Amino acid sequence: MTLVLVVDDEPQIRRALRTSLEAHGYDVATVGTGEEGVVGVAEQTPDLVLLDLGLPDIDGTEVIRRVRAFNDVPVIVLSVREDQRDKVAALDAGADDYVTKPFGMEELLARARAAMRRKQPEEPAPPVQRFGELEVDLARRLVTLEGEQVHLTPTEYGLLEALVTNPGKLLTHQWLLRKVWGQGYGTETTYLRTYVRALRKKLGDDAQAPGLIVTEPGVGYRWVADAT
Amino acid sequence: MNRTPTETERRRWRGLTPRGGFVAVVAPAVAAVASIPLSRSGPASAIALFLLAIVIAAVSGGLYAGLVAALLSSMALPFLYGAPRFRLRLDGTEEIVTAIVFLAVALVVGLLVGSASEERMRATRREREARLLGYLSTKLLSGEVPDRVLDDFASVLLEPFGLATCEITVELAGTHLHARSSQPGVEGGGPDVVVPLVVGTVAFGTVRVERPAGRRALTSDEMILLEAAAKQAAAALDRARLDARARMAQLDAETNQLRAAMFSSVTHDLRTPLASIKAGVTSLLDPSVDYEPAQEQELLTTILEETDRLNRLVGNILDLARIRAGALAPSRDDASLDEIVEAVVARMRPRLDQVTLDVRLRDDLPDVPVDGVQMDQVLTNLLENAARYSPAGSTIGVSVVPLHDRVQVRVTDEGPGIVEEDRERVFEAFYRGTRSPETPGSGLGLAIANAIVTAHGGRIWVEGAPQGGTAVVFEIPVAGGIVEANV
Repeated sequence: MTLVLVVDDEPQIRRALRTSLEAHGYDVATVGTGEEGVVGVAEQTPDLVLLDLGLPDIDGTEVIRRVRAFNDVPVIVLSVREDQRDKVAALDAGADDYVTKPFGMEELLARARAAMRRKQPEEPAPPVQRFGELEVDLARRLVTLEGEQVHLTPTEYGLLEALVTNPGKLLTHQWLLRKVWGQGYGTETTYLRTYVRALRKKLGDDAQAPGLIVTEPGVGYRWVADAT
Repeated sequence: MNRTPTETERRRWRGLTPRGGFVAVVAPAVAAVASIPLSRSGPASAIALFLLAIVIAAVSGGLYAGLVAALLSSMALPFLYGAPRFRLRLDGTEEIVTAIVFLAVALVVGLLVGSASEERMRATRREREARLLGYLSTKLLSGEVPDRVLDDFASVLLEPFGLATCEITVELAGTHLHARSSQPGVEGGGPDVVVPLVVGTVAFGTVRVERPAGRRALTSDEMILLEAAAKQAAAALDRARLDARARMAQLDAETNQLRAAMFSSVTHDLRTPLASIKAGVTSLLDPSVDYEPAQEQELLTTILEETDRLNRLVGNILDLARIRAGALAPSRDDASLDEIVEAVVARMRPRLDQVTLDVRLRDDLPDVPVDGVQMDQVLTNLLENAARYSPAGSTIGVSVVPLHDRVQVRVTDEGPGIVEEDRERVFEAFYRGTRSPETPGSGLGLAIANAIVTAHGGRIWVEGAPQGGTAVVFEIPVAGGIVEANV
């Protein structure tokens, strides 16, 4: 069974999540504080953590940092809209995604599935990933669109690789810059934007109706295409 | 230039001015010299010339100059024409009659000129009084800061009264105003006088004037004028006070009205979705009813929609509260507005399926330092508004263009448009335009957009779109001010 740990101080939210998640076949454990959350991850080794940022004892971002010290369980942050900066901080601290309160269960479950799919250790990512007409061969570093090879620069390929190997995950500007450009980077969002634009163009993705890369203004980018 | 009209007037009546004396001597002398070539034809032409000289002296130098000229002329005439010639004497009847006529002419002309100039003086004084009054009233009523008006007034009084210093002290509507003006380079300490500023029985304050050291006190004429000026100043100040009070009352009324509208709007907008949600949920929980799946779906859809609506409204109210609390510091990063536009368009596309979207972006847009999340919200609010007022099948346009030192974003719709007089007020919180009170919406979207754009150093406004409808335009300055765009 898949165990989901819910860390939220609101009993109503805990109850709603428990009911809904159990109905979808998950096991659910709930705690109300950040300390209990960290202990819960250590003792119960859940498959997913749903973490509220506004906890009564320690800050949600701090919970992620402590958890990440010993465990790479997927963490989805539940936050209210006002916490935009906290949200980015939580993502940078190692959260996988965030869902804004109030949220629809459908959306939460989709994000939860995507996050857990990324962490399946027994299923290593296949070397060739297909997204409709787009094919990315991670072993040979080859990209084809409708059978034609797409010529990408090394940086463009690095960016694409970072995106497709983290499907559905919201990747912050800082994370992408460090991942693709290197540790010394983090604030050069202009580079990132330029390369995302070039990549979209080469892959035939329309930013106004994206099928591959979605922009989250002020936060980062997300690969949304489902592998086929 | 320093000679004031009152002094000129005084000189005209009370003595001979240097200029008068000069004219009184020179005019008969010129007449005498001019008559020499005509002397053979007898004294008649010389008399005419002397009369002319006397009239000129009286007109330009005043009564005394005229009289002096008449005396000199009557002495000069027999000296020129009496027998024997070139001897000074005044003994014949003819000479005496001539002298009397000369003096009479000087007297009549001098008096006439004097009274005419006095008349002119009175007119000038009345005009000046009127000007002072007009000056004060327009300044005070035009909403200019009263103490600056008083400063101006104090300095205006300096010259006509030959003052060293003029001080005005006013207690107006609970505020204490003080104005002081001094003639530069003039030592004070001469005679001073205090005139009250009074309207009816209410004293507003005082005007204190000080003459330069060693000068005489103000004459009674000048006192009358000064009192008149003080009276006019008091009247103008009183009107300004009443006007300010009326304005304040009007403002109070408007604020109260706005507050009432706001409360009724918020109450209505918060309660309506809550009512729908509660009605839906209690229906579904009712054990006595067995709903068809379609009915259940409908109730649940309503609950979902109303929850979203409530969420948007609460979000807006919270944003506005944060703006009001001054907690809207943008966390800026270089970003490109076209990317944000594209992201917002992508996210909102499902909600814009009733309209055609015409998005025009350019490749040469410079980066702007913005808070991406806040800009996202501005564009979301503008597009939501456009969608709300757009008839099905119409077009919503979004364009981003680089201007000299800023980037301009324009969102247009083909809805009913916003009447000219509402175009500024739509940015006020809870204001929804006079023509569409029934359209849903909290009236907060534009207020929030305005606050965000302003916090970014930009500006936002509403225009009529060329095809009818509305264009909301905002501009964000580029970092460093200048864009090197290849426009």
